[in-house]
Amino acid sequence: MWNGLKSFLTGKSSRDVAKGRLHLVLAQDRTGLEGARLQEMRAEIAAVIAKYVPIETEAVEIHIETQDRQTQLTVSSTLAPRNA
Amino acid sequence: MGRAIVITSGKGGVGKTTTTANLGAALAQLGHTVVLVDADIGLRNLDVVMGLENRIVYHVVDAIRGKCAVTKALIKDRRMENLWLLPASQTDDKDAVTPEDMRSLIFELKATYDFVLIDCPAGIEQGFKNAIAGADEAVVVATPEVSSIRDADRVVGLLAAADVPARLVVNRISPHLVKKGDMLSQADVIEILALEMLGAIPLDDQVIATTNKGVPAVLEGKSVAAKEFIRIAKKLAGIEVEARDGVGFFTRLGRALGLSASPA
Repeated sequence: MWNGLKSFLTGKSSRDVAKGRLHLVLAQDRTGLEGARLQEMRAEIAAVIAKYVPIETEAVEIHIETQDRQTQLTVSSTLAPRNA
Repeated sequence: MGRAIVITSGKGGVGKTTTTANLGAALAQLGHTVVLVDADIGLRNLDVVMGLENRIVYHVVDAIRGKCAVTKALIKDRRMENLWLLPASQTDDKDAVTPEDMRSLIFELKATYDFVLIDCPAGIEQGFKNAIAGADEAVVVATPEVSSIRDADRVVGLLAAADVPARLVVNRISPHLVKKGDMLSQADVIEILALEMLGAIPLDDQVIATTNKGVPAVLEGKSVAAKEFIRIAKKLAGIEVEARDGVGFFTRLGRALGLSASPA
């Protein structure tokens, strides 16, 4: 009953939540990249980008997604305004 | 030459041994000669699930070490024409056996029997490596839960690296929980694991009851789980089976005539 109400309010069933969590955790598992290593890579990528264009280090984000056993890594970053 | 199929899952307690016992019994009922190999050395269980625990004399480690001929370690299941069990040893540990040992043992069995089903231990360490060493293909068992699917995914990756093609069995699915939105459906599991599906075994009280008695559910025939195990066994044996989607005659007729949408 409560679950029903909660999923009605959030629009998400526990089944949807499980699916979402699995997609994320499997993407990480499949790359074998764990917490500290991932942070290290993020910092290095940020440093490389910063050599060419001004960025805010914290703005670099890494997304790992999988589809049909293919894993894709995306790096995105907002650039700092010029002459800032 | 027969086929060696390893039943594996990564996570423990998802139904590998029950699946091995039932698929083995179902394949034997279909007329194939079948050997079940318990590769869970140190924690044997296939013997009790099959109800053959009182007849063990020799075991897999004896056969590998040449203490007895392989055929001598096999226990014939008297309930059926074509079914044998090669029990695990309960006293040795997993390091008593190497992947090479297993490879030659399974190869020897394949020369005589149509199907060699290998019940893999939980985990992905030495016992897993031994169990998959001689396998031509794999059946990955997963329950519709986050932890089980996560572990199954690890195993699928390791099987791919070892060039063992894998197919999926979803175990203990509860249709009413799926309908309520509180359980992953078989379609969800396939989508996440991106594996070919052999079948989905419904959660079934009968399996618990028959396992208590040491009888594979397929030998008592009529439960929903037994029917699905038999369907999967037919698929493994390459026999065409009808999709089980629980729809009635008129819906199927409608679909056949193109009157309604096909299921996804």
